[in-house]
Amino acid sequence: MNIKNKFFKLFVSLVVIAGLTTACNGGGEDNTDTTDTTATNDNSNNNTLLAIDGQVFIIPSPVQTALLIKSVGVEYNSALLSNPKSATNFSTNFKKSINVGIYGADLGYVTIYDQTQDAISFLTAVKALGDELGVSSAFDKSLMERFEKNLGKQDSLLSLVSDAYRSADAYLKDSERNDVGSLILAGGWLESVHFATNVAKTSKNPEIIRRIGEQKSTLENLIKLLTPHYSKPEYAEFIDGLMDLSNVFEGVEFSYTYEKPVTEADKKLTTITSKSEVKISDEQLEQITKKIGDLRNKLIN
Amino acid sequence: MKRLLKSLPVIIAIVVGGLFSNNANAQCDTIASLCGKHLQSGYISDGQQYRALLINDEVSEFHTTFYGGSTYRIAACSGLTDGNLVFSVYDNERNLLFTNKDYSNSAYWDFKITSTINCIIEAHLDTEKVASGCCVLLVGFKQ
Repeated sequence: MNIKNKFFKLFVSLVVIAGLTTACNGGGEDNTDTTDTTATNDNSNNNTLLAIDGQVFIIPSPVQTALLIKSVGVEYNSALLSNPKSATNFSTNFKKSINVGIYGADLGYVTIYDQTQDAISFLTAVKALGDELGVSSAFDKSLMERFEKNLGKQDSLLSLVSDAYRSADAYLKDSERNDVGSLILAGGWLESVHFATNVAKTSKNPEIIRRIGEQKSTLENLIKLLTPHYSKPEYAEFIDGLMDLSNVFEGVEFSYTYEKPVTEADKKLTTITSKSEVKISDEQLEQITKKIGDLRNKLIN
Repeated sequence: MKRLLKSLPVIIAIVVGGLFSNNANAQCDTIASLCGKHLQSGYISDGQQYRALLINDEVSEFHTTFYGGSTYRIAACSGLTDGNLVFSVYDNERNLLFTNKDYSNSAYWDFKITSTINCIIEAHLDTEKVASGCCVLLVGFKQ
């Protein structure tokens, strides 16, 4: 009985201390000041608990490749897109997550080409999958309303969607669901390369072909991002597919020559003038196109 | 009862861990919200929020590709005021391309990219101002 009492007192004390810690540090902005120089080693536990590695891999936005495609004069092609009606068919979180990324890239593409009706269909699909994945706060009713209000204003729409994806990403990081966040990125990347490879096939545009070759490093980063989840079967199959694709990219030559950048302090601008070249053969391009197509087909159906 | 006492350290770790984690996330969210204001002038977010909890001289590395023909904005924040975070951009050969240390730890900077480049962004706290805290990095672009 005595031990039980001691344990109970210890537990109550712990809860009280923990409660006070939260009350002192959480809540309003005034209490979340991380600039407090007195906070020295107190946060050492936080670092471990947030489980953040020393390295972070950034995957460029799929919107950038869609913008490039439009800028080189390629016309809108709805055949490049996935089917937003399939959103109800995805039964696993793996497929739901990756298709949030795929639909996000499609949403960017149709927005850039001012395809209003298609944009609303894709946004609705993203919202449906987002709800099922527990990120409904990012893709909520107010986003839909603001999107509809801004129809025709391309920059505003792209900002709204990108900000919503950023909110979802933050929420997933808060709730330590980095696997879902990584899959969303992977889906967006895959879809953007699918756009580029298909456009390259018909247009042979050198800027688009170069953009495909430039994915060599991004693909390596993507594999590093996903590898911690390799133990799960669906991830393993997908990562194996990406590694197979990476083997083709190994042969793509990316050369780089450093040049001293130019900084204009008054404009807070640095122009990076270093030069890079990409060499990619027709055969490599064909293999990449096929492998991207195969990977995508397994995910969108 | 013995079993209960044996599991006490685990219970303590879970309760305290959960509270510290929530607090750290709240800090990062607040900082990200403030930092987001630096991306509002015509830049489209890349849809990500990069964060790391740093102590003293710890360095976080962010690996990315910047496409030629684009202009990027990097916003880097820690704490509720600007200027607490030092960030530097290197190419893959570790040539220094830029450091905000030379510009009063400016919370954001723009980068006009003429030719696609793979680069590394390093971020660490300015330890003269901050000893520890959440570091948030945001990337925006315009074509």
